[in-house]
Amino acid sequence: MGVVLRNLQKIVPIRRARLRRDVNTLRHILGIQKFDLGVICVDNRRIQQINHIYRKKNMPTDVLSFPFYEDLRPGKLPCTLHRDELNLGDIFLGVEFVMKRCQEESVDLHDALTIVTAHGICHLLGYRHETEEEWTEMLQKESYISSEYSRLTGRQLEPLMRRHEDG
Amino acid sequence: YSIMLKSLVRAVGAAVRLSSAPSAAARALPLSCPTNRSPGSVASRPFTRSLWMLNSNGAPSGYRPKLFSSKVLSPSVSCGCGGLHTEGDKAFGNFLSDEIKEEKKIQKNKTLPKMSGGWELEMNGTEAKLTRHLSGEKVTVTFNVNNSIPPSFEEEEEAQQQQKPAEEEPEIVSTPNFVVEVTKQNGKHTLVFDCHFPEDEMSHGEGEEESDIFAIREVSFQPEGDSEWKETSYTLNTDSLDWALYDHLMDFLADRGIDNTFTDELMELSTAIEHQEYIKFLEDLQSFVKCN
Repeated sequence: MGVVLRNLQKIVPIRRARLRRDVNTLRHILGIQKFDLGVICVDNRRIQQINHIYRKKNMPTDVLSFPFYEDLRPGKLPCTLHRDELNLGDIFLGVEFVMKRCQEESVDLHDALTIVTAHGICHLLGYRHETEEEWTEMLQKESYISSEYSRLTGRQLEPLMRRHEDG
Repeated sequence: YSIMLKSLVRAVGAAVRLSSAPSAAARALPLSCPTNRSPGSVASRPFTRSLWMLNSNGAPSGYRPKLFSSKVLSPSVSCGCGGLHTEGDKAFGNFLSDEIKEEKKIQKNKTLPKMSGGWELEMNGTEAKLTRHLSGEKVTVTFNVNNSIPPSFEEEEEAQQQQKPAEEEPEIVSTPNFVVEVTKQNGKHTLVFDCHFPEDEMSHGEGEEESDIFAIREVSFQPEGDSEWKETSYTLNTDSLDWALYDHLMDFLADRGIDNTFTDELMELSTAIEHQEYIKFLEDLQSFVKCN
């Protein structure tokens, strides 16, 4: 399987090949190549709907994660033997929301999507940011991902600072 | 979680398809089949049996039940054309004229919606061809509105709809398969993409994840300007394709204006053409039945 990519919106032009390549780089960095992952691009309307249903927040956001394993200790990969369980879950990318922010901050859309996806994958791996401690742990992981990403691709990823408020 | 999520995604998808088009769905006869199907088969059993009893009850010779009288089959209306006209034809004609009136009422626009991006539309019966020239390249998109309305209404949805007021009936949307052809300047070959809207198939499957708005089914090279499809050309099937290659093909199409926005407009255009052709067909049918 690998990465199941879906583009369910028409507002933001998505370069599928680039998004897939970036997600694969992130999987490589995190050592999760053998796990399946769903990445679904949606517009504000759709992500707001999902945010409302699952988090009772009736507003659009940048990313929502639906982990296959719900109680992972941060960074500990599940020990699975069965093929069907080699799945981390799905990430909904609010690409319209991310694009708006990219326009405000003059950031490349696909670079921003990479960061947002990294954040989403961290959630799939059990990272949270409900407490200060958790947040620090997650931020450290994200900085590690960014630096590895730069080392591998030569591209710098600037973290989106306001993003830990939602997610 | 995944089951929950799937049902969410499907519910959201279904919500998109439901919109207010009063009586728009009324014309699709297959829609009402389930309502007729089961009660019909139950009701027909005693009916046939009573007929059988009538016949076998030793009715006197010469007596025929009224149902079998030949009157029904004889022409009762004459217009002097020499053709057959029955009471049934007359009722049919009246029905059609009501139906045409209704359909014209819900027709959004007499003119077809325009595709953005400088596409030129050419019609040949039910087949539509969109053409666009893009710095040395010619891109055409062809589709046929025949059989383009998916029978994607599940039993549970139907059951729900029957309880809802008429204005909440689903709108009919035409989602035709379409063929994209890209020809380079001085190129001998055309790259042909066989595309479709996968939603109709997916919505029947149990636990399927939501699919892209449109998908590429096959890719092959065909001789330029040749209307004959060459089966001997290698055909790339996307079912078992490397996903990275698939994404590049999708990006290739997006660069030529075939993206989610385009296919959304294509659905709208196809729906309008289909409706127009439907009304045209009803009018032809009416004049055929009426014989004028």
